[in-house]
Formats: sequence, C-alpha cells, structure tokens
Amino acid sequence: MMTAFIVFTLAAIGTYLIRLSGIALLGDGKQLSPRVRKALTLVAPAAMAAIIANSLFLDQGAWRDFGAWHLAALVAVGVALWKRSMGWTLVAGATAFALLLVAGL
Amino acid sequence: MTESPKPSRTHGEPARGTFWGIGRQQWRDFWTGSRAIAPLMPGSIVFGLAFGALIVEAGLPAWLAPYASSTVTAGASQIAIVEALRQNAPLLIAVATALVINARLALYSASLAPVFAAFPRRWKLALAYLMTDQSAAVSVLEAPRWPDPVRRRWFILGVSGPFVGVWIAGTAAGALLGPVIPEAWQIGFIVPLMFIAVMVPALRTWPSVAAAGVAIAVVLLLKDLPYGLNVLSGALLGIALGAFVPDKATPEGRSAGEES
Repeated sequence: MMTAFIVFTLAAIGTYLIRLSGIALLGDGKQLSPRVRKALTLVAPAAMAAIIANSLFLDQGAWRDFGAWHLAALVAVGVALWKRSMGWTLVAGATAFALLLVAGL
Repeated sequence: MTESPKPSRTHGEPARGTFWGIGRQQWRDFWTGSRAIAPLMPGSIVFGLAFGALIVEAGLPAWLAPYASSTVTAGASQIAIVEALRQNAPLLIAVATALVINARLALYSASLAPVFAAFPRRWKLALAYLMTDQSAAVSVLEAPRWPDPVRRRWFILGVSGPFVGVWIAGTAAGALLGPVIPEAWQIGFIVPLMFIAVMVPALRTWPSVAAAGVAIAVVLLLKDLPYGLNVLSGALLGIALGAFVPDKATPEGRSAGEES
C-alpha cells in the first residue's frame, strides 16, 4: 500500500513537471523541433497499444486463453475504425463482451 | 516565463454583479468553456469508474483511487501503475512507465505555451495542473476565438477544471462501487477496451500506425520480461521506430500528424 502511495506521488510530481515544461520553457517565438514534436505525437499510440497488448493478450505474463476478450476487442476495433468515435467503441465493445459472457464464452 | 501584461487583473464588469469576488462575465466565460467540453465528460466519468473499480480489484485501499486521480490526473498512466504494481514491479520502473506514457503531455504543453503566454504565473501553474488530453485539445482549438487574455483564461479554466472534477468524482464512485461488482463480470476488460476506444479512432497517420504495431509486437515478444518491463520497452521502441516512418496521411486521415 505504501509503495503504491509513493509511486502515485512520484508519478504526480513528474507528470506535473511534464505538463509545465512547454508552458515554462517555450515563449512566444520558440518552437519545438519537428523531430521532437513527431516523437511526442507517437507517445500516445505507442503507449496505449503497449497497454492494450499487455492486458488483452496476456494475463499475469502468460497467454490469455482465446475467448470473449479477444472477440469483444475485435468488435471494438471494428467499430472504432468504422465510426471513429470513442463513445460508440465503448458501447459496442462492452455490449459484445457482456453478450459473449452470457453466451458462456 | 513571459511577463503578463499589467492590466490583466481588471475585469470586464468590475464590482457590479460579482459572486465570490468573480465577475459575471468571468462566470459566463467559465460556463462557455465547460459547455465546450461537456460532450467529452461521460467518457471521463466511465473511465474514472473503471479506474476506481480497478484499484479495489487490485487489492489497494479505495482512497488511493481519488488520491491518484487528483494528483497524477492522467488515466492511462494511472492504470499502467496499477498493472505494474500487480506484477510487483520495483518502484522506479512503475514511475518510469507512467512518465513515459505521460510524455505526450509535453506536446500539449508546447502547443499551449503561446495560448497561455499572456497569463499571470499563478494561472499558468494552475492551468498546467488541470491539463488533460481532452482539455488541451479543446483549448488549443478554441483559443483563437478568445483574443482577450482575461476572458480566455476564464474560458480555459471552464474547459479544464470541471473536466478534472468529474474525473475525480467518477474515480471515487468507482472505488466505492468496485467491491459490489461480481468477479464474473471480469471488469478488467475495461482496460484494453478503454484504450482501444481512445487510440484506434485517432490512428490517422502511418507513423502512428507503425508506432502502435511495433509496440504490440514488442510487448508480446518480450512477454517474459519481469515487472511489466515489456510494456515500457514496447512503448519506447514503438516511438523510436515509428519516428522513422515518413509522414503521409492514411487514406482516411485528413492531414499529417505534424500539422494538428
């Protein structure tokens, strides 16, 4: 519990400094270099994909048995690409998952 | 740090019609900001509920959920921390994973620098704390319509503040409801689902598709690394290799990522 508290606190301090970085360091004229800017735009897709892969395909470090998780995720990805909407993706993914669980998968 | 212009303390409507010492015009601008971000609030509440429930499911005390949400205030990294703690990761690896995920906020901070340039320092410090993916996007998009720095900062406070508020409230509610949710519901599915919902609709450039693909491959190839290091490696390699892919919008993307 204490470890969790310390981890959240340190992450909070570090994250605040990241949030402040551009505002404090970049004035009116100064700009980020295109290379840095591009790398930063890739943080979100890379980090989120890493978490998706780790939580969807793995369970405590071992392969997750194929079933409701994979199928519902497939539905969610399909709806996300089709509708390009966070809300629809959540609704479709959660509904598919619930139906698959009820169906006993 | 840019010096704020002197007259920025004068309000549009001075003493008349104030509430808590804040002018009516300021409240109106604040309210306009809150309305601009309102469509995104349900997503934030659901995400908060999920994070709160996850904290309890991971065997951590419920109060840590609102604590994390009001200090870290970045859902993706908070979930990554819980996952790392579950795998008994050392403290520094858990913190490093969170900070790598939150490095994207540096980009928003850079985009907001010119928007905040005329604000007094304490406003910059406060608005930086309230910065989220969603509020930064709305603020950058809407800022050109608010040339007056006083009205602009109240608008941005309205965009950022209540959004963080519903996130914290959702988290606290999730932590309270968490123990009631039956295990058979497998609430853990919300983690990949949330991130699919946030990430996939935003995949509009080839470098971002490549970064995501590399990250997934690395996470699975290195699955036997301890302490969730496979997640950290996947994210870093995804960023590094994705950066080599030339910018060209995908067929569905309107513009290359650098322009947004």
